[in-house]
Amino acid sequence: MTETDPQVAKSPEVALAVRNLNFYYGENHALHDISIDFPARRVTAMIGPSGCGKSTLLRVFNRMYDLYPGQRATGEVIFDGRNVLERDLDLNILRARVGMVFQKPTPFPMSIYDNIAFGVRLHEKLNKAEMDARVQDVLTRVALWNEVRDRLNAPASGLSGGQQQRLCIARSIATRPEVLLLDEPTSALDPISTARIEELLDELKEEFTIAIVTHNMQQAARCADQVAFFYMGRLIEVDSADRMFTNPKQQQTQDYITGRFG
Amino acid sequence: MSETVVSTTGWKPNPRAARRRRADHLATAFGMVMAGILVLVLASILWTLLSRGLAGLSAAAIMKPMGPPGSSSGLANAIVGSLIQTFMALLMATPLGLGCGIYLSEYGTETNKFASCVRFVSDVLMSVPSILVGLFVYQVLVAPFGHFSALAGSVALAILAVPIIVRTTEDMLRLVPTSMREAGAALGATRWRVTLSLCLRSAKTGVLTGILLALARVSGETAPLLFTSLGNQNWSFSLNRPMASLPVTIYQYAGASYEDWVQLAWAGALLVTMGVLAINIAVRVSARRG
Repeated sequence: MTETDPQVAKSPEVALAVRNLNFYYGENHALHDISIDFPARRVTAMIGPSGCGKSTLLRVFNRMYDLYPGQRATGEVIFDGRNVLERDLDLNILRARVGMVFQKPTPFPMSIYDNIAFGVRLHEKLNKAEMDARVQDVLTRVALWNEVRDRLNAPASGLSGGQQQRLCIARSIATRPEVLLLDEPTSALDPISTARIEELLDELKEEFTIAIVTHNMQQAARCADQVAFFYMGRLIEVDSADRMFTNPKQQQTQDYITGRFG
Repeated sequence: MSETVVSTTGWKPNPRAARRRRADHLATAFGMVMAGILVLVLASILWTLLSRGLAGLSAAAIMKPMGPPGSSSGLANAIVGSLIQTFMALLMATPLGLGCGIYLSEYGTETNKFASCVRFVSDVLMSVPSILVGLFVYQVLVAPFGHFSALAGSVALAILAVPIIVRTTEDMLRLVPTSMREAGAALGATRWRVTLSLCLRSAKTGVLTGILLALARVSGETAPLLFTSLGNQNWSFSLNRPMASLPVTIYQYAGASYEDWVQLAWAGALLVTMGVLAINIAVRVSARRG
Protein backbone atom coordinates (compact mmCIF):
# COMPACT_ATOMS: atom_id res chain seq x y z
CA MET A 1 0.00 0.00 0.00
CA THR A 2 2.69 2.48 1.04
CA GLU A 3 4.63 1.84 -2.17
CA THR A 4 1.75 2.12 -4.59
CA ASP A 5 0.27 5.20 -3.04
CA PRO A 6 2.53 8.24 -3.21
CA GLN A 7 0.52 10.24 -0.71
CA VAL A 8 0.85 7.61 1.98
CA ALA A 9 4.48 6.99 1.09
CA LYS A 10 5.64 10.56 1.50
CA SER A 11 3.81 10.92 4.80
CA PRO A 12 4.56 8.02 7.15
CA GLU A 13 2.65 9.83 9.85
CA VAL A 14 -0.76 8.82 8.52
CA ALA A 15 -2.80 6.95 11.13
CA LEU A 16 -5.78 6.11 8.98
CA ALA A 17 -5.71 5.98 5.20
CA VAL A 18 -9.10 5.69 3.52
CA ARG A 19 -9.15 4.56 -0.09
CA ASN A 20 -12.16 4.33 -2.43
CA LEU A 21 -14.54 3.71 0.42
CA ASN A 22 -18.16 3.06 -0.44
CA PHE A 23 -20.84 2.48 2.15
CA TYR A 24 -24.34 1.08 1.85
CA TYR A 25 -27.33 1.04 4.18
CA GLY A 26 -29.05 -1.84 2.43
CA GLU A 27 -29.83 -0.42 -1.02
CA ASN A 28 -28.98 3.12 -0.02
CA HIS A 29 -25.53 4.15 -1.26
CA ALA A 30 -24.46 6.50 1.55
CA LEU A 31 -20.74 7.10 0.88
CA HIS A 32 -19.24 7.45 -2.60
CA ASP A 33 -15.56 6.72 -3.28
CA ILE A 34 -14.14 8.43 -0.22
CA SER A 35 -10.34 8.75 -0.07
CA ILE A 36 -8.79 10.70 2.76
CA ASP A 37 -5.83 10.53 5.14
CA PHE A 38 -6.01 11.15 8.87
CA PRO A 39 -2.59 12.43 10.03
CA ALA A 40 -1.32 10.87 13.24
CA ARG A 41 -1.67 12.92 16.43
CA ARG A 42 -3.70 15.59 14.70
CA VAL A 43 -7.34 16.58 14.96
CA THR A 44 -9.35 16.10 11.78
CA ALA A 45 -12.80 17.66 11.85
CA MET A 46 -15.52 16.35 9.57
CA ILE A 47 -18.17 18.91 8.70
CA GLY A 48 -21.19 19.01 6.42
CA PRO A 49 -24.97 19.20 6.57
CA SER A 50 -27.02 16.49 8.32
CA GLY A 51 -27.13 13.25 6.39
CA CYS A 52 -23.96 13.98 4.40
CA GLY A 53 -22.27 10.80 5.63
CA LYS A 54 -19.72 12.15 8.10
CA SER A 55 -21.00 10.07 11.03
CA THR A 56 -21.31 7.07 8.73
CA LEU A 57 -17.63 7.40 7.86
CA LEU A 58 -16.70 7.62 11.54
CA ARG A 59 -18.62 4.43 12.26
CA VAL A 60 -16.68 2.60 9.54
CA PHE A 61 -13.37 3.13 11.34
CA ASN A 62 -14.32 0.96 14.31
CA ARG A 63 -16.69 -1.25 12.30
CA MET A 64 -19.64 -0.08 14.40
CA TYR A 65 -21.87 -0.81 11.43
CA ASP A 66 -21.17 -4.52 11.95
CA LEU A 67 -23.80 -4.49 14.70
CA TYR A 68 -26.47 -3.99 12.08
CA PRO A 69 -27.23 -6.49 9.34
CA GLY A 70 -27.68 -4.91 5.93
CA GLN A 71 -24.97 -2.30 6.37
CA ARG A 72 -21.75 -2.88 4.44
CA ALA A 73 -18.62 -1.12 3.28
CA THR A 74 -16.27 -1.70 0.35
CA GLY A 75 -12.82 -0.24 -0.30
CA GLU A 76 -9.95 0.15 2.12
CA VAL A 77 -9.31 1.73 5.49
CA ILE A 78 -5.65 1.10 6.26
CA PHE A 79 -4.77 1.21 9.94
CA ASP A 80 -1.36 -0.02 11.11
CA GLY A 81 -0.79 -1.93 7.88
CA ARG A 82 -4.13 -3.71 7.75
CA ASN A 83 -7.42 -3.03 6.04
CA VAL A 84 -9.90 -2.79 8.89
CA LEU A 85 -12.71 -3.81 6.54
CA GLU A 86 -11.23 -7.33 6.26
CA ARG A 87 -13.81 -9.87 7.22
CA ASP A 88 -11.59 -11.86 9.58
CA LEU A 89 -10.30 -8.85 11.51
CA ASP A 90 -10.68 -9.17 15.31
CA LEU A 91 -13.23 -6.46 16.04
CA ASN A 92 -12.56 -6.47 19.77
CA ILE A 93 -8.90 -5.67 19.20
CA LEU A 94 -9.78 -3.06 16.58
CA ARG A 95 -12.18 -1.33 18.97
CA ALA A 96 -9.62 -1.36 21.75
CA ARG A 97 -7.22 0.46 19.41
CA VAL A 98 -9.83 2.77 17.89
CA GLY A 99 -11.97 4.30 20.62
CA MET A 100 -15.25 6.12 20.16
CA VAL A 101 -17.22 8.77 22.04
CA PHE A 102 -20.85 9.35 21.14
CA GLN A 103 -23.14 12.32 20.86
CA LYS A 104 -25.11 11.53 24.01
CA PRO A 105 -23.14 10.65 27.12
CA THR A 106 -23.75 6.98 27.87
CA PRO A 107 -22.62 6.19 31.41
CA PHE A 108 -22.83 2.49 32.17
CA PRO A 109 -25.14 1.44 35.03
CA MET A 110 -22.28 1.12 37.52
CA SER A 111 -19.92 3.21 39.62
CA ILE A 112 -17.66 5.92 38.21
CA TYR A 113 -14.66 3.67 38.93
CA ASP A 114 -16.20 0.66 37.22
CA ASN A 115 -17.16 2.72 34.17
CA ILE A 116 -13.43 3.15 33.56
CA ALA A 117 -12.42 -0.32 34.71
CA PHE A 118 -15.04 -2.06 32.55
CA GLY A 119 -13.21 -1.41 29.28
CA VAL A 120 -9.75 -1.96 30.73
CA ARG A 121 -10.72 -5.36 32.16
CA LEU A 122 -11.81 -6.50 28.70
CA HIS A 123 -8.29 -6.21 27.35
CA GLU A 124 -5.79 -6.23 30.22
CA LYS A 125 -5.26 -8.02 33.49
CA LEU A 126 -4.33 -5.38 36.03
CA ASN A 127 -4.02 -5.77 39.79
CA LYS A 128 -5.91 -3.45 42.10
CA ALA A 129 -3.08 -0.90 42.43
CA GLU A 130 -2.50 -0.76 38.68
CA MET A 131 -6.19 -0.34 38.02
CA ASP A 132 -6.45 2.42 40.64
CA ALA A 133 -3.54 4.19 38.97
CA ARG A 134 -5.11 3.83 35.53
CA VAL A 135 -8.43 5.20 36.74
CA GLN A 136 -6.78 8.17 38.42
CA ASP A 137 -4.61 8.80 35.37
CA VAL A 138 -7.44 8.97 32.83
CA LEU A 139 -9.75 10.91 35.13
CA THR A 140 -6.98 13.44 35.71
CA ARG A 141 -6.43 13.81 31.99
CA VAL A 142 -10.08 14.61 31.34
CA ALA A 143 -10.00 17.07 34.27
CA LEU A 144 -12.55 15.08 36.23
CA TRP A 145 -10.36 13.67 39.01
CA ASN A 146 -10.76 16.55 41.43
CA GLU A 147 -14.51 16.54 40.99
CA VAL A 148 -15.05 12.81 41.58
CA ARG A 149 -12.08 11.60 43.66
CA ASP A 150 -14.27 11.37 46.77
CA ARG A 151 -17.10 9.48 45.14
CA LEU A 152 -15.49 6.98 42.79
CA ASN A 153 -17.92 4.33 44.01
CA ALA A 154 -21.01 6.44 43.41
CA PRO A 155 -23.12 5.60 40.36
CA ALA A 156 -21.98 7.44 37.24
CA SER A 157 -25.56 8.39 36.43
CA GLY A 158 -25.38 10.98 39.22
CA LEU A 159 -22.84 13.11 37.31
CA SER A 160 -23.87 16.14 35.26
CA GLY A 161 -24.08 15.84 31.47
CA GLY A 162 -20.70 17.49 30.92
CA GLN A 163 -19.08 15.33 33.58
CA GLN A 164 -20.65 12.21 32.07
CA GLN A 165 -19.22 13.06 28.66
CA ARG A 166 -15.77 13.60 30.13
CA LEU A 167 -16.16 10.26 31.90
CA CYS A 168 -16.99 8.66 28.54
CA ILE A 169 -13.84 10.18 27.02
CA ALA A 170 -11.84 8.90 30.00
CA ARG A 171 -13.39 5.48 29.52
CA SER A 172 -12.36 5.47 25.86
CA ILE A 173 -8.75 6.48 26.46
CA ALA A 174 -8.42 4.06 29.39
CA THR A 175 -8.01 1.16 26.96
CA ARG A 176 -5.06 3.09 25.45
CA PRO A 177 -6.33 3.42 21.88
CA GLU A 178 -4.32 5.02 19.09
CA VAL A 179 -7.27 6.65 17.37
CA LEU A 180 -10.15 8.46 19.05
CA LEU A 181 -13.41 8.93 17.15
CA LEU A 182 -15.73 11.65 18.44
CA ASP A 183 -19.27 11.84 17.06
CA GLU A 184 -20.58 15.33 17.87
CA PRO A 185 -19.30 14.97 21.44
CA THR A 186 -20.46 18.40 22.60
CA SER A 187 -23.81 18.82 20.85
CA ALA A 188 -25.72 17.79 23.99
CA LEU A 189 -23.63 19.97 26.33
CA ASP A 190 -23.75 23.53 27.62
CA PRO A 191 -21.12 26.07 26.46
CA ILE A 192 -18.91 25.71 29.54
CA SER A 193 -18.76 21.92 29.29
CA THR A 194 -18.16 22.30 25.55
CA ALA A 195 -15.21 24.63 26.14
CA ARG A 196 -13.71 22.15 28.60
CA ILE A 197 -13.93 19.30 26.13
CA GLU A 198 -12.39 21.45 23.38
CA GLU A 199 -9.47 22.26 25.67
CA LEU A 200 -9.20 18.58 26.37
CA LEU A 201 -8.92 17.77 22.66
CA ASP A 202 -5.87 20.00 22.41
CA GLU A 203 -4.10 17.97 25.10
CA LEU A 204 -5.30 14.59 23.85
CA LYS A 205 -3.99 15.10 20.33
CA GLU A 206 -0.43 14.91 21.63
CA GLU A 207 -1.07 11.24 22.10
CA PHE A 208 -4.05 10.29 19.95
CA THR A 209 -5.15 10.68 16.38
CA ILE A 210 -8.52 12.35 16.64
CA ALA A 211 -11.40 12.36 14.17
CA ILE A 212 -14.29 14.54 15.23
CA VAL A 213 -17.68 15.01 13.59
CA THR A 214 -19.16 18.41 14.35
CA HIS A 215 -21.97 20.68 13.26
CA ASN A 216 -20.30 23.60 14.91
CA MET A 217 -18.10 25.52 12.45
CA GLN A 218 -16.39 27.51 15.19
CA GLN A 219 -15.54 24.28 16.96
CA ALA A 220 -13.93 22.91 13.81
CA ALA A 221 -11.98 26.15 13.35
CA ARG A 222 -10.85 26.17 17.00
CA CYS A 223 -9.87 22.55 17.43
CA ALA A 224 -8.96 21.03 14.11
CA ASP A 225 -5.69 20.85 12.23
CA GLN A 226 -7.38 19.40 9.17
CA VAL A 227 -10.97 19.86 8.04
CA ALA A 228 -12.94 17.68 5.64
CA PHE A 229 -16.19 18.87 4.07
CA PHE A 230 -18.76 16.25 3.09
CA TYR A 231 -21.88 16.74 1.02
CA MET A 232 -24.41 14.14 -0.15
CA GLY A 233 -22.13 11.22 0.67
CA ARG A 234 -19.11 12.66 -1.12
CA LEU A 235 -15.92 14.20 0.17
CA ILE A 236 -15.97 17.66 -1.41
CA GLU A 237 -12.78 19.08 -0.01
CA VAL A 238 -10.12 18.39 2.60
CA ASP A 239 -7.46 20.85 3.67
CA SER A 240 -5.78 22.43 6.66
CA ALA A 241 -8.18 24.26 8.94
CA ASP A 242 -6.57 27.61 8.14
CA ARG A 243 -6.98 27.31 4.39
CA MET A 244 -10.41 25.69 4.65
CA PHE A 245 -11.92 28.57 6.56
CA THR A 246 -10.12 31.41 4.81
CA ASN A 247 -9.74 30.25 1.26
CA PRO A 248 -11.67 27.10 0.32
CA LYS A 249 -11.17 25.84 -3.22
CA GLN A 250 -14.69 24.60 -3.83
CA GLN A 251 -17.70 26.84 -4.18
CA GLN A 252 -19.88 24.35 -2.22
CA THR A 253 -17.47 24.45 0.72
CA GLN A 254 -17.50 28.22 0.72
CA ASP A 255 -21.30 28.30 0.59
CA TYR A 256 -21.53 25.89 3.50
CA ILE A 257 -19.03 27.51 5.83
CA THR A 258 -20.47 30.95 5.19
CA GLY A 259 -23.89 29.61 6.10
CA ARG A 260 -25.54 29.88 2.71
CA PHE A 261 -26.94 26.34 3.02
CA GLY A 262 -26.90 23.34 5.32
CA MET B 1 -68.98 56.97 24.46
CA SER B 2 -66.93 54.19 22.93
CA GLU B 3 -68.65 51.49 20.94
CA THR B 4 -68.68 47.92 22.16
CA VAL B 5 -69.07 44.85 20.05
CA VAL B 6 -72.53 43.37 20.29
CA SER B 7 -73.07 39.88 18.94
CA THR B 8 -76.43 38.42 18.13
CA THR B 9 -75.92 35.26 20.18
CA GLY B 10 -73.85 36.79 22.98
CA TRP B 11 -74.66 35.63 26.49
CA LYS B 12 -77.94 33.98 25.61
CA PRO B 13 -78.11 30.43 26.99
CA ASN B 14 -76.95 27.93 24.41
CA PRO B 15 -78.97 24.68 24.53
CA ARG B 16 -76.24 22.76 22.66
CA ALA B 17 -73.55 23.71 25.15
CA ALA B 18 -75.83 22.75 28.01
CA ARG B 19 -76.45 19.35 26.45
CA ARG B 20 -72.72 18.79 25.98
CA ARG B 21 -72.13 19.74 29.59
CA ARG B 22 -74.80 17.27 30.76
CA ALA B 23 -73.21 14.50 28.64
CA ASP B 24 -69.85 15.33 30.21
CA HIS B 25 -71.26 15.08 33.72
CA LEU B 26 -72.97 11.82 32.83
CA ALA B 27 -69.79 10.27 31.45
CA THR B 28 -67.81 11.32 34.50
CA ALA B 29 -70.49 9.92 36.81
CA PHE B 30 -70.56 6.65 34.85
CA GLY B 31 -66.80 6.25 35.17
CA MET B 32 -66.86 6.99 38.87
CA VAL B 33 -69.71 4.58 39.57
CA MET B 34 -67.94 1.79 37.68
CA ALA B 35 -64.69 2.45 39.52
CA GLY B 36 -66.65 2.45 42.77
CA ILE B 37 -68.25 -0.91 41.95
CA LEU B 38 -64.84 -2.42 41.20
CA VAL B 39 -63.44 -1.19 44.49
CA LEU B 40 -66.54 -2.45 46.30
CA VAL B 41 -66.19 -5.92 44.76
CA LEU B 42 -62.52 -6.09 45.75
CA ALA B 43 -63.24 -4.73 49.20
CA SER B 44 -66.03 -7.21 49.79
CA ILE B 45 -63.79 -10.09 48.71
CA LEU B 46 -61.10 -8.90 51.08
CA TRP B 47 -63.65 -8.30 53.85
CA THR B 48 -65.13 -11.79 53.47
CA LEU B 49 -61.65 -13.29 53.42
CA LEU B 50 -60.58 -11.37 56.50
CA SER B 51 -63.72 -11.98 58.54
CA ARG B 52 -63.97 -15.69 57.72
CA GLY B 53 -60.23 -16.35 57.43
CA LEU B 54 -58.99 -14.58 60.54
CA ALA B 55 -61.28 -16.74 62.67
CA GLY B 56 -59.57 -19.89 61.47
CA LEU B 57 -56.10 -18.40 61.37
CA SER B 58 -54.63 -19.60 64.63
CA ALA B 59 -51.13 -20.64 65.62
CA ALA B 60 -52.29 -24.23 65.26
CA ALA B 61 -53.44 -23.61 61.69
CA ILE B 62 -49.95 -22.52 60.73
CA MET B 63 -47.92 -24.89 62.91
CA LYS B 64 -49.85 -28.17 62.67
CA PRO B 65 -50.14 -30.38 59.59
CA MET B 66 -53.40 -31.41 58.01
CA GLY B 67 -55.41 -34.12 59.73
CA PRO B 68 -58.81 -35.76 59.99
CA PRO B 69 -61.79 -33.55 60.78
CA GLY B 70 -62.25 -32.65 64.44
CA SER B 71 -58.58 -33.24 65.32
CA SER B 72 -57.57 -29.56 65.61
CA SER B 73 -55.34 -29.96 62.57
CA GLY B 74 -53.68 -27.20 60.53
CA LEU B 75 -52.22 -26.28 57.16
CA ALA B 76 -48.50 -26.42 57.89
CA ASN B 77 -47.66 -29.14 55.36
CA ALA B 78 -49.74 -27.37 52.69
CA ILE B 79 -47.97 -24.05 53.35
CA VAL B 80 -44.55 -25.66 53.14
CA GLY B 81 -45.63 -27.69 50.11
CA SER B 82 -46.74 -24.55 48.31
CA LEU B 83 -43.47 -22.81 49.13
CA ILE B 84 -41.41 -25.78 47.91
CA GLN B 85 -43.35 -26.17 44.67
CA THR B 86 -43.44 -22.48 43.72
CA PHE B 87 -39.75 -22.15 44.60
CA MET B 88 -38.90 -25.18 42.45
CA ALA B 89 -41.06 -23.78 39.65
CA LEU B 90 -39.26 -20.44 39.79
CA LEU B 91 -35.91 -22.24 39.86
CA MET B 92 -36.80 -23.91 36.57
CA ALA B 93 -38.66 -21.03 34.95
CA THR B 94 -36.21 -18.20 35.69
CA PRO B 95 -33.18 -19.39 33.67
CA LEU B 96 -35.42 -20.53 30.82
CA GLY B 97 -37.45 -17.32 30.78
CA LEU B 98 -34.40 -15.07 31.15
CA GLY B 99 -32.48 -16.87 28.41
CA CYS B 100 -35.44 -16.79 26.09
CA GLY B 101 -36.18 -13.10 26.77
CA ILE B 102 -32.53 -12.20 26.23
CA TYR B 103 -32.50 -14.12 22.95
CA LEU B 104 -35.65 -12.40 21.71
CA SER B 105 -34.46 -8.92 22.64
CA GLU B 106 -30.77 -9.09 21.70
CA TYR B 107 -30.62 -11.62 18.89
CA GLY B 108 -34.16 -12.02 17.56
CA THR B 109 -34.51 -9.12 15.18
CA GLU B 110 -37.74 -8.52 13.28
CA THR B 111 -36.50 -10.41 10.26
CA ASN B 112 -35.57 -13.50 12.28
CA LYS B 113 -38.19 -16.19 11.55
CA PHE B 114 -37.22 -18.43 14.46
CA ALA B 115 -37.44 -15.52 16.90
CA SER B 116 -40.90 -14.48 15.75
CA CYS B 117 -41.94 -18.11 16.11
CA VAL B 118 -40.58 -18.29 19.68
CA ARG B 119 -42.26 -14.99 20.55
CA PHE B 120 -45.60 -16.23 19.19
CA VAL B 121 -45.41 -19.55 21.03
CA SER B 122 -44.53 -17.77 24.26
CA ASP B 123 -47.47 -15.39 23.91
CA VAL B 124 -49.85 -18.27 23.17
CA LEU B 125 -48.52 -20.13 26.20
CA MET B 126 -49.36 -17.12 28.34
CA SER B 127 -53.06 -17.45 27.52
CA VAL B 128 -53.36 -21.25 27.61
CA PRO B 129 -55.85 -22.32 30.33
CA SER B 130 -53.84 -23.55 33.28
CA ILE B 131 -55.82 -26.79 33.50
CA LEU B 132 -54.50 -27.74 30.04
CA VAL B 133 -50.97 -27.30 31.33
CA GLY B 134 -51.89 -29.61 34.21
CA LEU B 135 -53.25 -32.23 31.81
CA PHE B 136 -50.16 -31.99 29.63
CA VAL B 137 -47.80 -32.52 32.56
CA TYR B 138 -50.01 -35.38 33.74
CA GLN B 139 -49.49 -37.08 30.39
CA VAL B 140 -45.76 -36.51 30.37
CA LEU B 141 -44.62 -36.76 33.99
CA VAL B 142 -47.38 -38.54 35.91
CA ALA B 143 -48.94 -41.21 33.72
CA PRO B 144 -45.64 -42.76 32.49
CA PHE B 145 -44.29 -43.05 36.06
CA GLY B 146 -47.54 -44.27 37.53
CA HIS B 147 -47.67 -41.81 40.44
CA PHE B 148 -48.28 -38.16 41.22
CA SER B 149 -45.29 -36.08 42.30
CA ALA B 150 -44.33 -32.65 43.60
CA LEU B 151 -41.87 -32.43 40.73
CA ALA B 152 -44.69 -32.72 38.21
CA GLY B 153 -46.56 -29.96 40.06
CA SER B 154 -43.50 -27.73 39.97
CA VAL B 155 -43.02 -28.33 36.25
CA ALA B 156 -46.66 -27.39 35.59
CA LEU B 157 -46.26 -24.16 37.56
CA ALA B 158 -42.95 -23.45 35.78
CA ILE B 159 -44.65 -23.76 32.38
CA LEU B 160 -47.11 -21.07 33.48
CA ALA B 161 -44.35 -18.82 34.82
CA VAL B 162 -42.00 -18.99 31.82
CA PRO B 163 -43.98 -16.88 29.32
CA ILE B 164 -44.46 -14.09 31.87
CA ILE B 165 -40.72 -13.94 32.53
CA VAL B 166 -39.96 -14.11 28.79
CA ARG B 167 -42.27 -11.21 27.97
CA THR B 168 -41.12 -8.88 30.77
CA THR B 169 -37.44 -9.68 30.19
CA GLU B 170 -37.73 -8.93 26.48
CA ASP B 171 -39.72 -5.74 27.06
CA MET B 172 -37.36 -4.46 29.74
CA LEU B 173 -34.25 -5.19 27.67
CA ARG B 174 -35.78 -3.38 24.71
CA LEU B 175 -36.09 -0.29 26.87
CA VAL B 176 -32.29 -0.19 27.19
CA PRO B 177 -31.18 2.41 24.63
CA THR B 178 -29.17 1.29 21.59
CA SER B 179 -26.53 3.84 22.56
CA MET B 180 -25.67 1.68 25.60
CA ARG B 181 -25.03 -1.35 23.38
CA GLU B 182 -22.98 0.73 20.94
CA ALA B 183 -20.93 2.28 23.76
CA GLY B 184 -20.16 -1.19 25.08
CA ALA B 185 -19.25 -2.55 21.66
CA ALA B 186 -17.09 0.53 20.98
CA LEU B 187 -14.88 -0.46 23.94
CA GLY B 188 -14.31 -3.85 22.37
CA ALA B 189 -16.75 -5.82 24.50
CA THR B 190 -18.28 -8.94 22.99
CA ARG B 191 -22.00 -9.15 22.52
CA TRP B 192 -22.73 -11.41 25.49
CA ARG B 193 -20.58 -9.20 27.72
CA VAL B 194 -22.57 -6.14 26.63
CA THR B 195 -25.83 -8.03 27.18
CA LEU B 196 -24.88 -9.35 30.63
CA SER B 197 -22.87 -6.51 32.12
CA LEU B 198 -24.63 -3.53 30.59
CA CYS B 199 -28.12 -4.31 29.26
CA LEU B 200 -29.27 -6.81 31.87
CA ARG B 201 -27.72 -4.66 34.56
CA SER B 202 -29.60 -1.54 33.60
CA ALA B 203 -32.82 -3.53 33.16
CA LYS B 204 -32.43 -5.55 36.35
CA THR B 205 -35.27 -3.92 38.31
CA GLY B 206 -37.74 -4.55 35.51
CA VAL B 207 -36.53 -8.11 35.01
CA LEU B 208 -36.80 -8.79 38.73
CA THR B 209 -40.31 -7.34 38.69
CA GLY B 210 -41.25 -9.81 35.96
CA ILE B 211 -39.97 -12.75 38.01
CA LEU B 212 -41.95 -11.56 41.04
CA LEU B 213 -45.07 -11.13 38.91
CA ALA B 214 -44.66 -14.69 37.64
CA LEU B 215 -44.31 -15.83 41.25
CA ALA B 216 -47.51 -14.02 42.22
CA ARG B 217 -49.30 -15.53 39.23
CA VAL B 218 -48.41 -19.16 39.93
CA SER B 219 -48.61 -19.11 43.72
CA GLY B 220 -52.41 -19.20 43.63
CA GLU B 221 -52.77 -21.73 40.81
CA THR B 222 -54.89 -24.77 41.62
CA ALA B 223 -55.81 -26.42 38.34
CA PRO B 224 -52.29 -27.36 37.20
CA LEU B 225 -51.63 -29.02 40.56
CA LEU B 226 -54.79 -31.13 40.68
CA PHE B 227 -53.45 -33.98 38.58
CA THR B 228 -49.75 -33.41 39.06
CA SER B 229 -48.80 -33.03 42.72
CA LEU B 230 -52.34 -34.09 43.77
CA GLY B 231 -52.13 -33.06 47.42
CA ASN B 232 -51.09 -34.93 50.54
CA GLN B 233 -52.59 -35.22 54.03
CA ASN B 234 -49.18 -35.73 55.60
CA TRP B 235 -45.79 -34.15 55.69
CA SER B 236 -43.76 -34.98 52.61
CA PHE B 237 -40.56 -33.40 51.41
CA SER B 238 -39.92 -35.81 48.56
CA LEU B 239 -40.21 -34.33 45.09
CA ASN B 240 -40.98 -37.81 43.86
CA ARG B 241 -44.21 -38.15 45.88
CA PRO B 242 -47.48 -36.28 46.07
CA MET B 243 -47.21 -33.02 47.97
CA ALA B 244 -49.81 -30.80 49.59
CA SER B 245 -50.31 -27.20 48.50
CA LEU B 246 -52.50 -24.37 49.78
CA PRO B 247 -54.67 -23.89 46.66
CA VAL B 248 -55.45 -27.61 46.33
CA THR B 249 -56.17 -27.85 50.07
CA ILE B 250 -58.56 -24.92 49.81
CA TYR B 251 -60.25 -26.69 46.92
CA GLN B 252 -60.61 -29.90 48.95
CA TYR B 253 -61.59 -28.31 52.27
CA ALA B 254 -63.92 -25.54 51.11
CA GLY B 255 -66.51 -28.01 49.86
CA ALA B 256 -66.23 -30.35 52.83
CA SER B 257 -69.09 -30.79 55.29
CA TYR B 258 -66.83 -30.48 58.36
CA GLU B 259 -66.95 -27.10 60.02
CA ASP B 260 -63.24 -27.04 60.97
CA TRP B 261 -62.12 -27.96 57.44
CA VAL B 262 -64.16 -25.12 55.94
CA GLN B 263 -62.64 -22.83 58.56
CA LEU B 264 -59.14 -23.94 57.50
CA ALA B 265 -60.00 -23.40 53.82
CA TRP B 266 -60.81 -19.75 54.60
CA ALA B 267 -57.62 -19.38 56.59
CA GLY B 268 -55.67 -20.86 53.67
CA ALA B 269 -57.35 -18.50 51.21
CA LEU B 270 -56.40 -15.57 53.42
CA LEU B 271 -52.78 -16.79 53.55
CA VAL B 272 -52.55 -17.11 49.74
CA THR B 273 -54.06 -13.64 49.28
CA MET B 274 -51.68 -12.12 51.81
CA GLY B 275 -48.76 -13.80 50.08
CA VAL B 276 -49.77 -12.46 46.66
CA LEU B 277 -50.38 -9.02 48.18
CA ALA B 278 -46.92 -9.08 49.76
CA ILE B 279 -45.32 -9.99 46.41
CA ASN B 280 -47.20 -7.18 44.66
CA ILE B 281 -46.04 -4.68 47.25
CA ALA B 282 -42.49 -5.97 46.79
CA VAL B 283 -42.87 -5.42 43.02
CA ARG B 284 -43.98 -1.84 43.57
CA VAL B 285 -41.18 -1.11 45.99
CA SER B 286 -38.55 -2.59 43.68
CA ALA B 287 -39.99 -0.72 40.69
CA ARG B 288 -39.87 2.56 42.58
CA ARG B 289 -36.25 1.97 43.61
CA GLY B 290 -35.24 1.31 40.00
